[in-house]
Amino acid sequence: MEATISFTLNGKAVTVRTDPMRTLLEVLRNDLGLTGTKQGCDLEGECGACTVLLDGVPVRSCLTPAGKVEGREVLTVEGLGDPDRLHPLQKAFAETGAVQCGYCTPGMLMSSAALLARNPNPSRQDIIEALEGNLCRCTGYARIITAVELAAAQMRGEASPDGAAAQARPIGGDLLRVDIAERVTGRTRYVEDMPMPDALHMRVVRSPHPHARVVAVDTQKALEVSGVLRVLTAADIPGENSIEGYSKDETVLVPVGGTVKMVGDAVALVIAATPEAAQAGVAAVEVAYEPLPAVLDPEEALAPDAVPIHADGNVLSTFAITHGDADAALAASDAVVDATYRTSYLEHATIEREAALGYIDEEGRITVVSGTHEPHWHRDFAAPVLGLEPSQVRVIMPPTGGSFGKRQDPWLVAATALAVYHMRRPVRIAYTRRESFDASPKRHPYVCHYTVGAMRDGMLTGLRLRVTANTGAYDSGGYYIPNYAIVAGGGAYRWRGVDAFAQSVYTNGPKAGQMRGYGTPQSNFALECTLDEMIQRLGDDPVEFRLRNAIAQHETTWLGYPVAESLGYRQVLEAIRPRYQALEAAARAFNEGERNTPWRKGVGLAGMWYRFGKYGIPRVAAEAELGLDGRFIVYCSAPDYGQGIATVIVQLAAETLGVSRDAIRLVNADTATTLDSSVPGASRATYWVGGAVCRAVTALREVVAEVASEMLDCPPSAVVLADDRVMAGGDAHRSLRLSEVAAEMERLGQSRKVMGVLDLRAQFPNYEREVYTPHFVTGAQVAEVLVNTATGQARVTHVVAAHDVGRAINPRDARGQVEGAIVMGLGAALMEEFVPGVTTGFSNYYIPTAKTMPDIEVIFVEVPSYQGPFGAKGLGEAPILPTAPAIINAISRAVGARIREIPATPERILAAARQGGLR
Amino acid sequence: MTHYRMAASVEEALEILEEHGGEARIMAGGTDVMVDMHKGRIAPRCLVDITRIPELRAISVEGEWVQVGAAVTFAEIHRHPFIAQRVHVLAEAARSVGALPIQTAATWAGNIVQAMPAADGAIAALALQAEARIADAEGARWKPVETLFVRPGVSAVNPCRQVITHIRFRVPSGLWGSAWTRAGRRESLVLPTLNCGVSLRLHEDGTVAEAVIALGPVAPTPYRARDAEAFLRGKTPDAAAFAEAGCIITGDCNPRTSPARASREYRLALIPEMVAQALEVATRRAQPSVEAAVR
Repeated sequence: MEATISFTLNGKAVTVRTDPMRTLLEVLRNDLGLTGTKQGCDLEGECGACTVLLDGVPVRSCLTPAGKVEGREVLTVEGLGDPDRLHPLQKAFAETGAVQCGYCTPGMLMSSAALLARNPNPSRQDIIEALEGNLCRCTGYARIITAVELAAAQMRGEASPDGAAAQARPIGGDLLRVDIAERVTGRTRYVEDMPMPDALHMRVVRSPHPHARVVAVDTQKALEVSGVLRVLTAADIPGENSIEGYSKDETVLVPVGGTVKMVGDAVALVIAATPEAAQAGVAAVEVAYEPLPAVLDPEEALAPDAVPIHADGNVLSTFAITHGDADAALAASDAVVDATYRTSYLEHATIEREAALGYIDEEGRITVVSGTHEPHWHRDFAAPVLGLEPSQVRVIMPPTGGSFGKRQDPWLVAATALAVYHMRRPVRIAYTRRESFDASPKRHPYVCHYTVGAMRDGMLTGLRLRVTANTGAYDSGGYYIPNYAIVAGGGAYRWRGVDAFAQSVYTNGPKAGQMRGYGTPQSNFALECTLDEMIQRLGDDPVEFRLRNAIAQHETTWLGYPVAESLGYRQVLEAIRPRYQALEAAARAFNEGERNTPWRKGVGLAGMWYRFGKYGIPRVAAEAELGLDGRFIVYCSAPDYGQGIATVIVQLAAETLGVSRDAIRLVNADTATTLDSSVPGASRATYWVGGAVCRAVTALREVVAEVASEMLDCPPSAVVLADDRVMAGGDAHRSLRLSEVAAEMERLGQSRKVMGVLDLRAQFPNYEREVYTPHFVTGAQVAEVLVNTATGQARVTHVVAAHDVGRAINPRDARGQVEGAIVMGLGAALMEEFVPGVTTGFSNYYIPTAKTMPDIEVIFVEVPSYQGPFGAKGLGEAPILPTAPAIINAISRAVGARIREIPATPERILAAARQGGLR
Repeated sequence: MTHYRMAASVEEALEILEEHGGEARIMAGGTDVMVDMHKGRIAPRCLVDITRIPELRAISVEGEWVQVGAAVTFAEIHRHPFIAQRVHVLAEAARSVGALPIQTAATWAGNIVQAMPAADGAIAALALQAEARIADAEGARWKPVETLFVRPGVSAVNPCRQVITHIRFRVPSGLWGSAWTRAGRRESLVLPTLNCGVSLRLHEDGTVAEAVIALGPVAPTPYRARDAEAFLRGKTPDAAAFAEAGCIITGDCNPRTSPARASREYRLALIPEMVAQALEVATRRAQPSVEAAVR
């Protein structure tokens, strides 16, 4: 029943003719083309990304029927300011690093704008309360709160905008994100925002069963649904029904006769003219299932009579390391701690849901635009499904709303490519949030059995470690999990003997795959908590104990070889020592004063090492070109899903060339235009791709200097670059525009594009896939937690993080990575848990809100790397590793009993407090 | 397809309901109705928006009643000076509903009609012994909110035939105080593991004249702890009495295990703590302050 609705939108009168029951969100995005307002949940008001102002009041546009806005004023992020005239809030968000992926940003800005209009001088608590309904997964909220404080001060006329950045050096000085003005004004087009006339809509038929045989798939009724054009099943796959290059046992669509192995397994694709028709089509596809017994517990899946999930049995992969004689070392120990630690399935919970847009490009390639960690890999996985050569498929990385590993899964690219292959028309898909929770890979739940020995003098002796990782229904990139589990699980410590074995086990739970830290946070949690048990047993000090046992730079480690990069663990521990001591003393005093209340403060410490080492051939390439316009163009594949690598690459290129960032243009992550930089994760992009880019621009500079030296009649060594010009020495009168040099190269027929390679093959001869370069970063964190021992409620009040990053190329964004990782780690420690069959979305998967955020101090310990650009190492994942064990050690110390399972819900904490005799 | 009508008066709203013979439904903020419709839980032929009916948009403090219109949002409630300063249980409950951009649309009346066992607004209404004015074709009448809950998600008020126009409760007088406690898996944007609203009136001699204690979700409907209330009457409001009140409640109520939130056992463990904490704060607020004594 359409109605005419007139209202004021961003200061202008608008009239729309629509169903007044549609949500304001849909009307803004679909009818009015204002895609700055985002949808992050299933129109349930759970995430806050769609927040707009209605008569100045923040509301969820996904819960607001369009009819309600008749005659009223609506303000969206597009109306707050534009790139040339930013609102003080938008400017402050840009300048403080409050934006990572940017998907929550519009909602955050609108909630903040409403607050400042009502209260020009808000306290920190006021800001937190205004933003507590807006979820962010990247930043950890700290920078957002700071941005609102800064904007408020500026709007009160108290702080002058900082204009220094423009003149600053690219590294360490000029820190603004490359595309920040678009991100803070809602202009950035994420996949769902990209206009594509005539695009069809795809939805997926998914299994409701954890384990069942597909007996029949009847698409007839679905094809009768008005608007449905095609239903694709396994029979429609022209190539291989497999993404085995990534996930060795996973089909694209489960065929008739095959088995679905988890809830959410894909059986068919419905393609229709509208999303509604596609959804109706999904409901009309009749799949006959024969349910099979399902097993969700990996230890049950290992039983001899367990239900077989895959033909080869229920073990996906194993890995073991033996070093010295662990049994003898343990037998000779003064103290031995035996402990079993458990972790849960975790969900990335990026605020942008999975989305893809497919079409046929101008050269006839099947093209898919979708978030990815490496477009070339996704292209290579998708092409065989279509029976095509990789060159006939193209994958492009769009602006993406967060990943944390989630977007490494190639299924969506393969399925979208398949639809375009058949339809020869543009096809788009966006998961529902429910679907994202059901079908996306999770963090592997671990069961870790630890036996650790030590002498009375506090020297570690032996380590016996058994890890069972639940990989769920599929490999999903989890094949190498046992290796990562063990390497992290032994830590940066000197052991006389190690006996470690890990296995990845199939169940009918959700497939587990890549997630920030890939298999390392779980075992590091168990290790650092077990060490804390030992430290308490020995009455030792957490900092001194770790220092005493820390691996030294050049020694052969328990892995059997020395590390190949600088190792800053001792420096990290030294740096955090005074902060640990101060917080620990304060907690003691607090507990003394609260002796008769249920309140206790605990302080916990945990360390980590994280291997950002590359596997396979240790060689990565990038390209640099001098454009005809005289600007430098860098070509590489370093997908930026919010972590800020695009900015870092531009900073590195500008610093290397000695020019400003404006002189650099980045072409990134498009298989049609960039090289395969072979970096699908593991915090390698700055080190490896950055290193290759530095070499490419250095080589380009030499070529340019050569040509310019002829033109300027000076030796190449005297040629100086200055943004758009080259000069002979310091003589400004003997100069040329770079565009003139480019024209001369063109006339000479000389290539203006050169390749640069970071090649460490000489250092690591004969490296193959399963061998990783032993490059490690280290860090340590201290958590202070306030616990109510009567209710089990815990609040992390303070975290101090010390991390060796080699060199912080963009210190503000590096800090943002650490803060975001800490809050994500806090979620894992206290509240996050995906329970198969129970968890459906944001309403019952609890990620931290602004109110959960602790005060965070970040200390960068810069022990320069040997081979990385400007001394940089890797950072994105590592800071999540120490957070959960630091928090759990703090709580365990506060309540006097050990918590060995996360999340440490209030219920588990209360149980521990009772065990500790506090109640 | 659902019609959408903006009612200009209560009479018009009721007429529209009548016209549709039970297939139209009242909507205020829409924060629950929209979700229920998207999920297919309800499919009304027409929604009647009451948020622009002038008489439903005000909070009044007149004579012995505080009266809150059905279109007043939770944000308007917790920002109302009288409520913020004097009626803590309501102000704090209103701040607990979802998060601010939900509180700016959601209403107290709507929250009560949803009839969920731990609805923050419902628990606060019980603690205040609030009444709702229910209008329908037969006229209008005041009923205690406590009598409006049938079972989880089912209210005695039929939103397809009836409309709550106002909610009222007595203006606090004498030595009166109230408090709100709430536990959840995180500190905001979360349904409660347990919520508890309390109001307390003291005799001049400091003993309890009247205690009202409400909790959720510990029963199929919002729960009023009448035995504990009776026990507290005449007692000195101290830790021992509060502990005993907690024990009585623990013995009487019947919380369930919800896999995504908490177990029955944990909720039972939490009840005495949350009740005692609420009673303690309410007692402090009821006691004559030093400042007041000086005045």
